[in-house]
This record gives sequence, structure tokens and C-alpha cells, in this order.
Amino acid sequence: MLFNTPQFFLFLAVVLGLFYISPKPLCKWILLIASYFFYMSWNWRFAPLLLSLTAIDYAAAIWMERVEAPRRRKLFLVAGLAANLGFLGFFKYYNFLAGMLAEVMRRDPHAFALAIVLPLGISFHTFQSMSYLVDVYRREQKAIRNPIDYALFIAFFPQLVAGPIVRAREFFANYYHWVPPVSEEKLRGVLWILLGLAKKMALADQFAQVADSYFQHLASHPGAPAALSGVAAFAMQIFFDFSGYTDMAIGMALLLGFHFPANFRRPYLAFSITDFWHRWHISLSRWLRDYLYIPLGGNRHGSLMTYRNLMLTMLLGGLWHGASWNFVIWGGYHGALLGLERGFGRKHFQDSPHWLIYPFRVVITFLLVCVGWVFFRAATLHDSMYVIQQMFSFHGKGILIPAWLGCVLAVSLVVALLEEKFEWMERLARGPAWAYVATVVTLLFTVEMLGVTEKAVPFVYFQF
Amino acid sequence: MRVAPVLLASVLAFAAIEGAVFHTGVYPWVLSPDASTGYLETILRNERERPKNGPQVLGIGDSRMLLLPRLSNEHTAETGYTFGTIATAGSSTRSWYYMLRDTDPTARLYRAIVLAVESYDDADKWGNEADNDADLSYVIARLRLSDLWEYSRSYDAPKQQWKAARGIVFKGLVYKRDFEDFLLHPISRIRYANLSRRDSFSWNYGYSGPPDTVSDFQVDWEAKTVTAPPGVDPGRADGLRTRLVLPLPPETGAQSRYMKLWLGKIYEHYRGSPTRLIFLRLPRGGFVRPDQPRYNPRSSVRDLAAEPNVTLINEHFFDSLERPELFRDELHLNGPGMDRFSIMLTNEVSRILGPPR
Repeated sequence: MLFNTPQFFLFLAVVLGLFYISPKPLCKWILLIASYFFYMSWNWRFAPLLLSLTAIDYAAAIWMERVEAPRRRKLFLVAGLAANLGFLGFFKYYNFLAGMLAEVMRRDPHAFALAIVLPLGISFHTFQSMSYLVDVYRREQKAIRNPIDYALFIAFFPQLVAGPIVRAREFFANYYHWVPPVSEEKLRGVLWILLGLAKKMALADQFAQVADSYFQHLASHPGAPAALSGVAAFAMQIFFDFSGYTDMAIGMALLLGFHFPANFRRPYLAFSITDFWHRWHISLSRWLRDYLYIPLGGNRHGSLMTYRNLMLTMLLGGLWHGASWNFVIWGGYHGALLGLERGFGRKHFQDSPHWLIYPFRVVITFLLVCVGWVFFRAATLHDSMYVIQQMFSFHGKGILIPAWLGCVLAVSLVVALLEEKFEWMERLARGPAWAYVATVVTLLFTVEMLGVTEKAVPFVYFQF
Repeated sequence: MRVAPVLLASVLAFAAIEGAVFHTGVYPWVLSPDASTGYLETILRNERERPKNGPQVLGIGDSRMLLLPRLSNEHTAETGYTFGTIATAGSSTRSWYYMLRDTDPTARLYRAIVLAVESYDDADKWGNEADNDADLSYVIARLRLSDLWEYSRSYDAPKQQWKAARGIVFKGLVYKRDFEDFLLHPISRIRYANLSRRDSFSWNYGYSGPPDTVSDFQVDWEAKTVTAPPGVDPGRADGLRTRLVLPLPPETGAQSRYMKLWLGKIYEHYRGSPTRLIFLRLPRGGFVRPDQPRYNPRSSVRDLAAEPNVTLINEHFFDSLERPELFRDELHLNGPGMDRFSIMLTNEVSRILGPPR
């Protein structure tokens, strides 16, 4: 059940209806049943997996809180983390490691491979569980005593399959002090859902057609213009796809009275890679910083260790996206760029530059990010190298992005620049009614006239 | 702001604008005349605006209904009838119903409607014609909200039914491709649409057909091969091969159900009116395959022939045209073939109708 299908909107309407007409004690049950129904609508066979992980983490946290001896507390933490990483490792990385082993042993690449189906959203909910366990271990979060409450935290359908990765204290601060959303929040919720839908259907899915036609038929599109436009199309696809999903998740959560943190802040307006990572997949960046980079030592042990920590964090961040060397290289590439920026002086890359220089910095950053996206999208390392070579070949002709889509992108850029300056989307629900109505109508027309409606295209991040 | 009134106002505003632009003649005014909808709308508009002096006969069919009204009307002094056509390349029987409903809403405008069908036996085709989603693109401007149930239910596959229902309510979804193209070159599109409004009548009525023939192609029925003559694009043989030597589709009765539904609806539209429905079986091609579909005594047109004011032109009336030198490809008559077809049809229709009263 994809977010961009009529079935999902029917499901959402039923859940919202039941949620608001039911007595308060029943609401959590409604959300939990709805969340499991949503999860099982993809593949019911994975429900026991989600349930087991939930039970293990729930019990581990309680035991961790009960015992005082640091070694025993650590034991429970390690057991909980091992369960999560074990499931994640098996489902996501087994075949990758088996392939490497086969290569080392000079056997058939599929000699040790298993037919494994990746459970939906496993990367997201395991990270959410692990952050909870670590927070309980650090005594930054009390263990949740009610299993229903904890199960809902893990399975909450708006963010179950692709985030944002919400921390327990953020979720439960809302949950235990739940107040019905006020009018402004409901209106904002609807707006976020429509904005996400428009981003997904009218932009991401349109750019996906260009990116797919390029990356699936590389030999048919030689030359720099085709490579640059193909890669730029993928850059737009992945941004509009993922941020569209997140907008919808935030909107749905708002309608249910939950406040999720922002996951994107116009990342392609970033003026440096450091700035980019403050704007792109913020909940993952924050997770990596708090549960990996800082525990590794962060920047507290000298420059060399800082670079090492930065690189390790980004390599693992890359690997989190998928079991392939391409993702590792993508992570390493960003780690190297972050390291370089740090080497040149963090201040230059964290503080906003002069407005005259800003556009150039944005273009350079976007180009650097695009080079990284090549590794993310190309099927093999060989393909990645070919595309990068083509991007900088300075010959050829034929821009793949159709002119009308280019015009739509230009309009989106203007909207993003205005949003960067005025943050009007947040204010719209407080502004005059006509402005809200005009925005909703515009978004509905965008979906109707520009959206890909022939078939519902899955979200890119669902595969992670 | 109160939630319900604001959301209701948003939905109403969207519905009002969508309705004003796509459910009226506003957007169809700038449709590309080359796109399915724009092409059909151009043909219907030409027919609506054609001066209708004296008794009228209207032809309808797909691209093979190559009636040349210009030629037919050269004989108006003898026959007493003026011929018009709304035959549209790629259109289907389902579309014909909506085209006729809007072209002749009172069912009294014409003395006869001449409908060109491929077969009097409702021979099945490869692929279910009831699920042909191109139909929606042709007739979308003709469909009303009241057609929602009937039109969408006429598709067999639930996916197609949903697509049709969605398209009738939100017509913008069907105009999407055309709209994207319009966004690119709005000025030149408006110019082209205006040009089409001004000149398309003469493009259609002045058409005389190409001279190409398939007479140099060789068909070996035993070996099931089609050979193109030297120097001719071998791709031209592919169409002939598909039509002539590939096996016939299995008989499922799907085509018969489809034809009975839509020809039945056309008949119902004209039931009790003075308009006669005249069916003809199109010439089958320059080469006629020896294994023809089975004779179907209860086919849609044969059943309808029992009704008053319905006439079937003899199934073999146009057999004399089924010669390679009169066809330009596996389906379509060439210029000389169209000339002969038009004259034969004009004379036969005039004979069936008798002198105008």
C-alpha cells in the first residue's frame, strides 16, 4: 500500500475517522492495529519479525533499567543491539558478504547466496530501536513499560517504512502528553500531505523516467549533456521522492497529533557539503552523529582521529543505504569531501557566504553531490566510472530532461528560494484563508496535470 | 481558520476550476489537432458546422471508412443526398456511439447513418477491444459525468474501469500529455489550433488518398510468407504478414459482446427516428486470407438487421475492390481504391434509401 495510491488514502481516511470517534483508551489500539495492517499489506510474513524485534528491545530496555551493575546493563544493551544488527545484517547484508566470500574463495558469485526478501523498512525501524536502547542505557530515556506503547513507537505507520527516524523521547513526549491537533495543525497536515504527493507524483516520478532511461541505457546516451542531465534527473528524483514521502509522513503524523522533526531543508540550496548534510536526511545525519560519530570520539581526540571518525561514519552511512560497494564509495566520497572541507577550515563551510558568492557555491556543491549520486544510482562500479567520465567529457549533445519539466523545475527552484527566505509553508495555515485555498488548489492541479498516474511508482527509499 | 470550511472551499475551488477548464469547451479549444482528442473534436466540429442543405447521409467508422464525401457529393444532383463523414482513424465502436450522440442529439438530422464494420461475424481480435484504453483519449471531451457508470463499466478489466471513471471525473488526467505539450509551446499551439479550425474541413473533404499499392508483394499461403519487392521497405511486409499469415485469434465471443453492446446503444439512440442505420462490411484487403472467421448467424449486425430501419449492405458487395492494386497497405485502400469505394457506396446507399421525399 503505497502512500501515493487511492487505497492508502482510503486507509488513512478510515484510520483518522476511527481515531477521532473512538474513546481515548482505544486510540492507541487503533493506531497499532492500523500500523500492523499497513505493514502486513506489503508482506504479512514479516509481521513476526517486527513483533520479535519489538519484544526483544522492549524486554532488553526494561532489564537494562532494572539492573544497576554497569557490566550487566552493557550486556543487555549489547544483546539488544546484536538482535537488531543481526536481523538487519542477515536480511540486508548476507548476500553481499556471501558474494565477497565466494569471490575470495574463487567460487561462483552466487555459491553461498540465499533468496532473501528485504523486510520493508527494516533499516529505519532497527535504527529507531537501537537509538531507544542506547538512550535507555545512557539513562536519557526511561524504559517504556507498556508494550503497546512501545510497539506503536516502532510500528507507527506514517514513518515505519522510510522514516524520519524519530527518537523515543520525541515520540513519547507527544504520545504521553497527547493533545488533539488544533485547526492550524490539521491544515498544515493536509498541506504537507498534498505537497508530498505533488513532489512525488509530479516531480520525482517524472524525473525518474528520465533517470531510468539514462541509467538503463547508458550506451545509447553518450556525451556530457546526456550524462549531466541524466544524473541531474536522478538527483531531482531522489530528492523529490524522499522528501515527498517525508512531507506526507509529517503531514499524517500532524493529523494524528504527532510532531515529527523535519527531515529535509532544501538540500540543493546548500553552499557546501557540510551544509548539505545539515539539510539532507536530517534524522539519519543526526542518528549517525549521536550514535556513531560522537561515541567514536567525534572531534575530541585530534585532527587525525576526527577525520577517521568522519570517514567511518560516512562509510557506514553509505552502507546503511544498501549492500553494495557503490553505496560504500558514495559514503566514502562524502566522508572525503567533509574531511576536505574540515581541513580547509570549518568556518568557511558552515557560515553562509556572501550573497554574490552564494550561487556559485550552490552550483559547485550541487555538482559535487551529483557526482556522488552516480555511485548511488548506477548498477555497477564500472557504470559509475563510465557516467562520471561522460559527465566531464565536454562533448556530445542532447539534454534528456524535456523542456516542460525543466520549466517546472525552474518554478520549483523559485518556490524553494522563497521558502528558504520566508518559510511560508509553515505560516500558510496561519495566514489568510484565500492563500491556503489557492495553494491547495495549485497542488491538486499539479498532481492532476503533471503527476505520473499510469501506475503508482514505489518510493526509492522503500528499498532501504 | 476553521478546518472544515477551508478544506471544503479548497475542494470546491478545485472542482470549479477543473470543471470550468476541462468539462466545458475551454481546454478542447486549444487541444492539439494531432492528438486523439483534438483530432476527433476537429472532425466533429467540422461536421457540426458543415452546411446541411437537403437530405443528409453520415458515414462513420475508422481509418478504413475511406468514404470521400467530395466524390460522393459530385453525384448529389443524381442521388439527391449530401454525404458527410465523421470517420476517425483509430476510433472504435464504443467511441462512435458518443460521437453520434453529440453530432445528432435529436436523432433526426440524417436520413441515414452508414457504419463501416470490419466483419459481419464479430470475429474476435488479438486483445480485448472492450479494454482498449485509447478510446478514453478519443472521446473524453464527449463524456459527461452522467456517463461515469455506464462508460467505465463497459471496460472488462477493473484497472481500465478505474482509469475510465477517474478520467471522466478528472478530465485533466486524460489531457495530461496534451497539456505538457501545450506548456512547451503555448503560442504555436494556439496558432495551430486556430489554423485547424479554419482549414481542417478542406484537409478532410479534399483528401484524395495516396497512390501506393501492394501489388508487387508476394504472399505464399502454403509457406506462410510475405515477400516485399526489391527496394521497398521490408517493414511494409510486416503489417501484411501480421494480418495474413499469423493464426486467427481464438473465438471467445468477447468481440460479439462488445459489438452488441455498442451497436445496440447506437440503435437505441435511433430507435423510432426516421434515420436508417446502414451497415457495410469493409473490403478486407488487397489479399484475402483463405481461412476466414467462422460464419456467425447471431452476430451483432445480423441480429440488428431484423430491426426496422436497419439495413445490411451485402457482405460481399465490395469484394471487387479486394485487389492488391487498390490497397496501399494491409488495411487501407489507396487513392483509386477510395474513389471506387466512394462511388459504389454512394450509389448503394442512394439505392437503399430511394429517391428523397
